[in-house]
Order: sequence, then C-alpha cells, then structure tokens
Amino acid sequence: MSEDYNEIESALRSLRPRSPGPSVAAGIARALQTPARPAAPKKNIILWMSSALATAACLVGVFLFSRNESNSLSPEYQLVSAEQSPAAVDILSPVELSDGSYARPVRLLWNNTTHWADTKNNTQLIDYRPAQQLALIPVETY
Amino acid sequence: MSDAHSAQDWKVWFAENGARLRLIARQWTRSDADADDVLQEAFIRFWKNQRHLPGNPNALVVTSIRRSALDLYRSTDRRSHREQKVFADSDTMTWFEPEADPRLQALTDSLPQLPNEQREVVVLKIWGDLTFDEIGEQLSISPNTAASRWRYAMEALRKLISARTYV
Repeated sequence: MSEDYNEIESALRSLRPRSPGPSVAAGIARALQTPARPAAPKKNIILWMSSALATAACLVGVFLFSRNESNSLSPEYQLVSAEQSPAAVDILSPVELSDGSYARPVRLLWNNTTHWADTKNNTQLIDYRPAQQLALIPVETY
Repeated sequence: MSDAHSAQDWKVWFAENGARLRLIARQWTRSDADADDVLQEAFIRFWKNQRHLPGNPNALVVTSIRRSALDLYRSTDRRSHREQKVFADSDTMTWFEPEADPRLQALTDSLPQLPNEQREVVVLKIWGDLTFDEIGEQLSISPNTAASRWRYAMEALRKLISARTYV
C-alpha cells in the first residue's frame, strides 16, 4: 500500500503546474520596484511617540502652571480685625415664672464684625453678624 | 529550491517557485484569474514583509496565499449568481501543463476532482513542501487528520487514474 502511495506521490511530483501569467510578474515588479513609501521604521515611531509624549507633558505643565498663576490671582485674604460692638441692653418688664417667682428679662444686643483684606487685589471681606442674648434677672418681692 | 531568507532577487526566486505557488493559489480559488490575483497579492506581502521572518519560508508564503484566497473568497462570495456560474465553468480548466504520458495526464485531470479537504492536503504536501504538522497548522487540523486525508486522497487518485486509463 505504502509503495503504491510512493508511486503516486512521485508521479504527482513530476507534474508541471502551469506558470502564472506574465501580468503577475509585471504586477509584482511594479509593487516591489515602486519606491516604497518610507515606511516608518520602528525607531522613528518610537522617536515620534517620545516627542508626542514630551509635547503632551509640556502642555500639561503649562496648563498646571497657568492654573497656579490664576490661583495666585485669587484673593488671599488676611485677617485685619475682629471687633465686637458694645452691647445694647434692653431691660424688659418683669415676668412671673412657673414657680411663682418674678424675674426681669434683660436682652443684650451687639454686633460681631470680622474684617479680612487682600492687599494684592485691594479687596475686602467683612463678616457682620448681629448677636443677641436673653437673660433673666431675679426680682425680689416683699 | 533556494531559500527565500537569503534570496536577494525576487525574480529569480519567483521564476523558480511561481508555478507551484500558483497551483497552491489555484486550488483555493475559482478561476485562473483569481489565482493570479491571489498569488500576486500574497507574494508581494510575503516578499516585502515576511520572508525574513523566522520559520519555514514555504509555510510563510502558503499562509500568505491562503489569507489572500480567503479574503478574495469572502468578497467574491457576495457577487452575483451569474458571476459565480462563470467561476464554476472556468473550474474545468486544467491546472497543469499537458502531459504526453496518459497516466500522468489522467493524474492531472483527477486531482481537481478530489474533495477539497483531500486535495488541499495533497497540494500542500507535494507543491507546498510542507510536513503533516505544518499542513495541520495551515488548515487548523491535527497532523493525524492531515495524514488520514492524504491516505484517502492517494486511494481516490489511484482509483480515478485506473478508471481513466483503462476505461
């Protein structure tokens, strides 16, 4: 059986496949002889990518730097003063408490003012907060 | 057969190997014209980009041919039925030069009649100069399957030759 295969195999090897048409060789010649586009060698690609990355890094740096610049233009307030105005005292009419005793309500009114300033931008920030406190002063009754 | 790794002149290498490469392309295509197109595209790709790659250059060029043939098959598969009929008619053309020996002529006429899966193993082994291992890699089958298809093909060819020679 193997001998038969060898005979057929050798007969097959003796066959002569038809040659490709002349247009094939002409087409190959055109393709291979055309000055190939300077195919970017790997080295060039690496260089190109490196420069692209460097450019990108520069852009990011410039962006961050400009952000810092703009940040430096933002107000940098310094505390100038923190004041508390003299309290105004309102003495109200006496009231009777739940235990039967009496007390006189006293209301204190004053203002808390905090002042910041940014000399660079010549801007100011003033926090003005009115405040009050209510107190009861016991009243002796006889 | 000169080694494509060291060959400098494509014309010399192509003159020596063009016919067998065309047969490999021909058995995967529907017409002589398609075989020429496939061979041209595959050879250019092989010579430009692949011939210096490590490995058997025969396997590399066969891979390139198979890839081009599959690409062409996918594109022509969408063509009209009329064009496909032309392909079918042209399939009867001979793949080999005429032989004076009637037994060899019977062989040339019989090879295209083999089932595709047997025929491609025969073509890759004889004209692709590939081993069963390499044929298995090309066709995504096991080497044992490739060898089995080879044996079936040999049996079929023997019967076809006998029928043509003695009828």
